[in-house]
Amino acid sequence: MALLPMLLLVSSPALLAQTVNPLEGDPRAAFAGGALFRAQCATCHGADAKGISSIDAPDLTLMWSQRQLSAQDVFDTIRNGIAGSIMPPHDFTDTEIWMLVSHLQNVAVAGVIGLPDGDAANGQRLFARHCAECHRVRGEGGSLGPDLSTITARRSLESLLISVRDPSALIAPGYKPLTVITGSGETVQGVLKSEDAFSLQMMDSNQRLRGFRKQQLRSLERPQQSLMPVFSESLLGQQELIDILNFLDRN
Amino acid sequence: MKHILDRLYKVSRNAVCASVLMVSAAASAQSGPDYDDILAGFADPERWLTYSGDYSGKRHSPLTQITPDNVDQLRPVWTFQTGTTTRGRGFETTPLADDGILYVTGSNNYAWAIDARSGRAFWSYRRNLPSDLTYGASAPVNRGFGMLGDRLFMVTLDAHLMAFDRRSGDVLWERELADYQVGYSATLAPLVLDNKVIVGISGGEYRTRGFIDAFDPVSGERLWRFNTIPGPGEPGSETWPDDPEILASGGGGTWMNGSYDPELDLLYWGVGNPNPDYYGDLRPGDNLYSNSLVALDPDTGELQWHYQFTPHDLNDWDSNHMPVLADIDWKGEPRKVVMVGNRNGFFYVLDRVTGELLLGKPFTATTWAREIGEDGRPIVLNDGSQGCVPDPWGSTNFMPPTFYPGLDLFILTARETCATFIPEVPANTPGQSNFGGTVHIDAEQGSGALRALDVHTGELVWEFTYPSPTFGGVLSTASGLVFAGDHEGNFMAFNAETGENLWHYQTGSRIWGAAAMTFMLDGRQMVLIASGTTLTAFALPE
Ligand code: HEC
Ligand code: HEC
Repeated sequence: MALLPMLLLVSSPALLAQTVNPLEGDPRAAFAGGALFRAQCATCHGADAKGISSIDAPDLTLMWSQRQLSAQDVFDTIRNGIAGSIMPPHDFTDTEIWMLVSHLQNVAVAGVIGLPDGDAANGQRLFARHCAECHRVRGEGGSLGPDLSTITARRSLESLLISVRDPSALIAPGYKPLTVITGSGETVQGVLKSEDAFSLQMMDSNQRLRGFRKQQLRSLERPQQSLMPVFSESLLGQQELIDILNFLDRN
Repeated sequence: MKHILDRLYKVSRNAVCASVLMVSAAASAQSGPDYDDILAGFADPERWLTYSGDYSGKRHSPLTQITPDNVDQLRPVWTFQTGTTTRGRGFETTPLADDGILYVTGSNNYAWAIDARSGRAFWSYRRNLPSDLTYGASAPVNRGFGMLGDRLFMVTLDAHLMAFDRRSGDVLWERELADYQVGYSATLAPLVLDNKVIVGISGGEYRTRGFIDAFDPVSGERLWRFNTIPGPGEPGSETWPDDPEILASGGGGTWMNGSYDPELDLLYWGVGNPNPDYYGDLRPGDNLYSNSLVALDPDTGELQWHYQFTPHDLNDWDSNHMPVLADIDWKGEPRKVVMVGNRNGFFYVLDRVTGELLLGKPFTATTWAREIGEDGRPIVLNDGSQGCVPDPWGSTNFMPPTFYPGLDLFILTARETCATFIPEVPANTPGQSNFGGTVHIDAEQGSGALRALDVHTGELVWEFTYPSPTFGGVLSTASGLVFAGDHEGNFMAFNAETGENLWHYQTGSRIWGAAAMTFMLDGRQMVLIASGTTLTAFALPE
């Protein structure tokens, strides 16, 4: 059995309290972990580990960059489950759990790789001028768009360029555009935060949270166009955008 | 009565106009309440901006749509399920309301912005808590947000203060209050003053030293700290043994909200038990400022006066209660008073300018003491080692009481219990609870009641009894109503003058530590109560 040497390795007492994965970098471990994941975890987290929101199973490819997680934290979560949720405890061997951790490390979103050099200080100024009205970075800025403090760890360079040049191509969840006309004739534009059959919850373009009962609305439209303006190269040059990304990557 | 109602109606109409204006002014940049708005308390009927609704801690709303005549029509409009439970304790929050949105904290440091019209969340937050919480593990509760402008403030079970953006729920900053691994935790609703966020700390069951902190709401910088247990040589240290180690771990938590008098510019805050809780031989003396009410200068945190309710406490009777501020007629003279219904079984009225004791009278059958001596100290008859005194949860606890002006009634939840305390030498281990003994509670002898006391005499005016010692808080409204919750899960309305029960609704879980709040929404008076894992909104039929 090919796994035996690894088993011996992780059960040696000196390695009992790990914050790093003892199998890290071993491609066989990540491969075996992937098989285990698809068999044991995919019904809830999806085969791609990107989560299933209708059952509150989170995207496991993003967790590493969203919070400061150690391999040991993830190991503990898989072993113990999460009390009060449907995330079950798993009575696997340590080796099997480390293999799952390897797999999750492997599928973790890598973020921006190979960012061209830029002037982060200039990027900060440009961000303040063009973006901060809607986006927050390290506690400062607006709320209409997502907090961008960790964006370069969560998204690839290519997809970030698309987000800025052509925002409507890929609209972040929780930011779907919405236009309603209220009973009193007021037109309200914004992004949809939540809805049920009878009510909707949105943030309007003035960054005010508003709740409506649908029966009291005159109209409700769901435009395909993002509330984020298109930043063409004439508005924001390629090097300027790279500067902004350098500023964001500093966080 | 009629002209009072007319006046109230005018006030609320003006306030509605004002809020319409505010909305259009804000069309360019919507921002939340500032200090003056919080200071104005209940002036805007559509808002509830701080834990008690205003700084005075009366929890008395001027709203009058729901009356003793129509309250039996009250019905649930929606419920919100938190999905996070604290079996053994409660869902203790008071939501804040502004612009049709509710800002709500839950157990285990969950939090939400909720659409008041539908009960649906705009955003939710859950803190990733460490698995080795200390005191926070045994009381994983939270009592609410503080709010200023677009910022919300919440304390955490691992003893941090956090600031959020109220629109998105994004975290703006967080600061450590103290090391949770020693035993610290935090559960109260931050109190927002002018450019200050005031918080207190939990963990007096551990080897901790209590404090009250003030933070800058924008930068998160700590502005001052008041230590509730003095350092060696400081005033008050003479009430302790001359031992820095004992002082450094003397307890004195500050885990319940305080109140504020803007005219006197004084902050009023209750202080908890000394540590160890039941074993006093290691800490001879009064143990200031444990079990006291302290009045602080909010700019510096300096102590202005104190009154100790339970000197040298041996029964875990923390004095962490909402201090209730009112201006009343006292023996023919106008007087600024602060009132406290205490865990030790006494109701107190103090002059809040000087701290002078005006009245101290038992409101339960406590045998610990029956009177306060000339010197302002209780005449202790039974320290709890000789049978039956109130249990460590006390004759009442932190669940908010209400003061009904005009009727001059202080209405609180009273607990009749019977406990014997058996002190033992404690182990004094940091990171572990350090009660110093055990308690035997005679469960057969427990009962509860909602009691209305005449604040001039401390006499019982009316009561409504419950089958078990209860932990629900109280709200009153100017239409002559009192809302309260009990341990069996009932949310109830009473006639404030007579105590007659007018309405009840079974929420399905005990109402524990929470008190109701109320506000106007689209012309309709809403009343909200937290219970179990559920927040329920009530209103009259449309
Ligand atoms: C029955 C459904 C279910 C199964 C099966 C399941 N999970 Fe989960 N898992 C969840 C849910 C739901 C959560 C979120 C729980 C919460 O946060 O309350 C979760 C959370 C997690 C987390 C924490 C994510 C974070 O952001 O901290 C990890 C890690 C995880 N699961 C890994 C796994 C692995 C690995 C497996 C397979 C061995 C697995 N889960 C199987 C439902 C499931
Ligand atoms: C008027 C408001 C507004 C401005 C100004 C704005 N954005 Fe956005 N942005 C949004 C909104 C709304 C979204 C979410 C919808 C979407 O993905 O298109 C968004 C999404 C994004 C995303 C994707 C985030 C994610 O989590 O996937 C990026 C990246 C981004 N913006 C970058 C920028 C940059 C860089 C600037 C300045 C050059 C900028 N934005 C200016 C509103 C704005």
